[in-house]
Amino acid sequence: MSKFSYKNRPLGLYLHIPFCVSKCGYCDFYSVTDQTLVKHYVTALLTHIREYGRTCGGYTVDTVYLGGGTPTCLGAKFLGRILQEVRNKFRLADDAEITVECNPESTNKKVLEMLKKQGVTRLSFGVQSAHEDELRAIGRIHTFQQAADAVALAKAKGFANISLDLMYGLPGQTQARFLESVERCLALDPQHLSCYGLKLEPGTPMGRADPVLPDDDAQADTYLALCDVLRERGFEHYEISNFARPGYRSRHNMKYWDLSEYLGLGPGAHSFLNGRRFAFSRDIKAYIGGEDILRDEEEVASFQRQGEYLMVRLRTADGVDLLDLEKRYGIDSTPYEEAFRSLMGNGLIAHQGMRWWLTEKGFLVSNSIINRVVEAGQSQPAL
Amino acid sequence: MKDHEHIRNFSIIAHIDHGKSTLADRLLEQCRAVTQREMEEQLLDNMDLERERGITIKARAVRMEYEADDGQTYEMNLIDTPGHVDFNYEVSRSLAACEGALLVVDAAQGIEAQTLGNTYLAIDAGLEVVPVINKIDLPAADAPRVKQEIEDIIGIPAADSPEISAKMNINIHEVLERIVTDIPAPQGDDEAPLRALIFDSQYDPYKGVVVYMRLMDGCVRPGMRVKMMATGAVFQVLECGYLQPFGLSPQQELRAGEVGYFTASIKNVSDTRVGDTITEAARPTEAPLPGYRPAQPMVFCGIYTEDGSKYPDLRDALEKLQLNDAALSFEPESSVALGFGFRCGFLGMLHMEVIQERLEREFDLDLVTTLPSVVYEIVQTDGTVVRCDNPHDYPDPALIEQAREPFVKATIMSPNEFVGNIMPMCQERRGIFKDMQYLDASLVELHYEMPINEIIYDFFDALKARTKGYASLDYELLDYRPSDLVKVDMLLNGDQVDALSFIAHREKAYGRARRICEKLKENIPRQLFEVPVQAAIGGKVIARETVKAMRKDVLAKCYGGDITRKKKLLEKQKEGKKKMRTLGTVQLPTEAFMAVLKLDEE
Repeated sequence: MSKFSYKNRPLGLYLHIPFCVSKCGYCDFYSVTDQTLVKHYVTALLTHIREYGRTCGGYTVDTVYLGGGTPTCLGAKFLGRILQEVRNKFRLADDAEITVECNPESTNKKVLEMLKKQGVTRLSFGVQSAHEDELRAIGRIHTFQQAADAVALAKAKGFANISLDLMYGLPGQTQARFLESVERCLALDPQHLSCYGLKLEPGTPMGRADPVLPDDDAQADTYLALCDVLRERGFEHYEISNFARPGYRSRHNMKYWDLSEYLGLGPGAHSFLNGRRFAFSRDIKAYIGGEDILRDEEEVASFQRQGEYLMVRLRTADGVDLLDLEKRYGIDSTPYEEAFRSLMGNGLIAHQGMRWWLTEKGFLVSNSIINRVVEAGQSQPAL
Repeated sequence: MKDHEHIRNFSIIAHIDHGKSTLADRLLEQCRAVTQREMEEQLLDNMDLERERGITIKARAVRMEYEADDGQTYEMNLIDTPGHVDFNYEVSRSLAACEGALLVVDAAQGIEAQTLGNTYLAIDAGLEVVPVINKIDLPAADAPRVKQEIEDIIGIPAADSPEISAKMNINIHEVLERIVTDIPAPQGDDEAPLRALIFDSQYDPYKGVVVYMRLMDGCVRPGMRVKMMATGAVFQVLECGYLQPFGLSPQQELRAGEVGYFTASIKNVSDTRVGDTITEAARPTEAPLPGYRPAQPMVFCGIYTEDGSKYPDLRDALEKLQLNDAALSFEPESSVALGFGFRCGFLGMLHMEVIQERLEREFDLDLVTTLPSVVYEIVQTDGTVVRCDNPHDYPDPALIEQAREPFVKATIMSPNEFVGNIMPMCQERRGIFKDMQYLDASLVELHYEMPINEIIYDFFDALKARTKGYASLDYELLDYRPSDLVKVDMLLNGDQVDALSFIAHREKAYGRARRICEKLKENIPRQLFEVPVQAAIGGKVIARETVKAMRKDVLAKCYGGDITRKKKLLEKQKEGKKKMRTLGTVQLPTEAFMAVLKLDEE
């Protein structure tokens, strides 16, 4: 047990599975539908796991996340090999959180049994909506019943940490209809919910179609109604789009929100290691061909790092502790504090001592708030 | 030996698009003052802007020699005139330098109001007006009708007027012959004390100011000391000569009746005012030529650069423009909202627009301008009278005994079918109806007395809109009249925005304030908190709108570990914010100012 050894630097590991049966209209994560590449891709990914397993010898992986794309469409055999290789090549913490994203249509008994066997602790289902017309409109290829069945099956197989993804702000979606989806999802008794507002990304079919979405006021009202419902039902609202029963926050995602270290493998996956950010290019063929194409981000200046820290911390309900910020970057946080104070009185922010956080109303306008606070810090040179 | 008999000084009066510039080109060509190869598209208008807008902003003059059918060679001086009501005075001075004028009328469109205004100016100045019917090549041309119109409306014979096409080069020769036969030669005494009229001046980077003049009496020679009678400035002539199409042609001497220029290392055009009389310092003439009027700005506005750091560029640009435009005035001012800029004075709205466009185009500046204002006269309780062209300087109401605003005599010419549209519009703008005259069966001329305040915002555009573009407007300053004026301040979130304050008649203040509030509400992006937009007179709020608080501005998706992407999205948003001006607690985009300025253009 290496918990107190020098090898205890924690690391989050993200593995990208860039395959989908069909692409959803809104999604701009990197994935392809050419299933003939699966075998070659898995081989390439396994090679990378071995390589980085060696270079990350100083780390203990305490969260693993298989995302996509659609990990479950690889099938039990390939998924099993990937998870096994992670265990073989990385030092895995005993209590590691291992999450796999599941799509309802490809999550069968065989897959679930293998995941259980490989020690997967957490499943995240892309449910998105409980209404068939909405599912069709955004290009999902499953029904809500399929999602409910898959969740029931997962529970039967012993999974007790289940997250469901939902979307609001869909074209034509009323608040009542969205809350109906929420209720039907809650009926499946999940431990965690991620609720994302639909964002039209350029380059996606929906982005090009540019449908009329509920307006900002309607979406804001829907969001606040959602927050109320989930609070009443015992969920903690711990990040802008994430809700969890006590003890069930996503530890992997939390790493993104406190600038912990993580390694992402696969095309389009991002890493933050040793103060350096990098990403693999969004090109599966190059990845398979072994071209180790990294999109390297430059070293980021200290005041920009502060900005990043504020940006990610203010997404969480815990917010930012200015004392932590001072210690972390060796600065005077007064300008930030003043920026926070100037925003008081509008129900957007709250604080306790030096810890400042956004309220749910504040989450809704977090971009503006973050920009204002970050700017305040940059108007003065760091000490 | 030169003699007056062979000199002809004339100008061309024409409505925009009726072919003045083309005709000028043809005249120059036929006189072989210019070869075809040298020809620029339209010689006389050599500013880009003029060419595009089809108006001649600054007068030019050109000398040509014509060998007439009688075998004699004539010296012909064409003095160009600006064609807009803002430059009425300049036009009158150019005309005063001539003995005759060609009245160019489009054979299809007939007479238009502007032409009419300038024609009357010419007739009043005692000029011989020679009508020329242009564009006879057009399918819609109806020369007999247009001739009849000229006789009916203006009352000068037009039956045997030349029918020409400047574009197709038809009958240009006839026009030249008419100039010789119909326009009188100048009078004047070469031996008398010098008496010359300044009708324009131009700044030349090498020679200093080049003064364009018409000699009435006496002579000018290099070395002579001359005095500007109005400004009192005295200069020693370095060079004098003729104005050729492609530059200056220095001469030993200029004599009575001639048109030409002189230079004297003059640094500032404001020393050589249009309309001033030049005389010999040692032997001055008894009385200056009549009609001089110092250029008086009627419309004022604040001009700022969108990017505050460009302030010195703006100053340089204004200084350069002023070298050639004594009517443009400016002085530094500062605004909490807009930073450092200049309070600029213009002859009228067109002058203002032209200057703004030239600043943007020729000097590549992005401008923010404030609402235009006129000059008010305020009689204070202590008896002193102050002139106020800036809402910022408007005295405390408690100190005002009486406020006066400038009125103009407005002349609107329009086909009679639109009279029903025009009259209520003038009424609405506090116009006092004087009379209406039928110029012919279908054309009427309306006379109003109106506050300029009501004209400067939108009147011209509204007039065009309600008369399908047929009506035209001419105005001249009449007098100052007592008026119930108020200063209206605009407040954002309780803070006054100085650049948006305006002075208005009390009855108009409310409506205007309400529309500005609405415009601001439309153009101010939602902020993190609710922003009240108020208009107030003194401390009393007269209109109010509210910019609701922003409800949603969030990246819901977390893009996995792609912090960079998130950061870029936020930075992009911040870029947009840079174009905003922060006023107290509110961020205001430049467009909000623009929208308020364009208040009435819908």
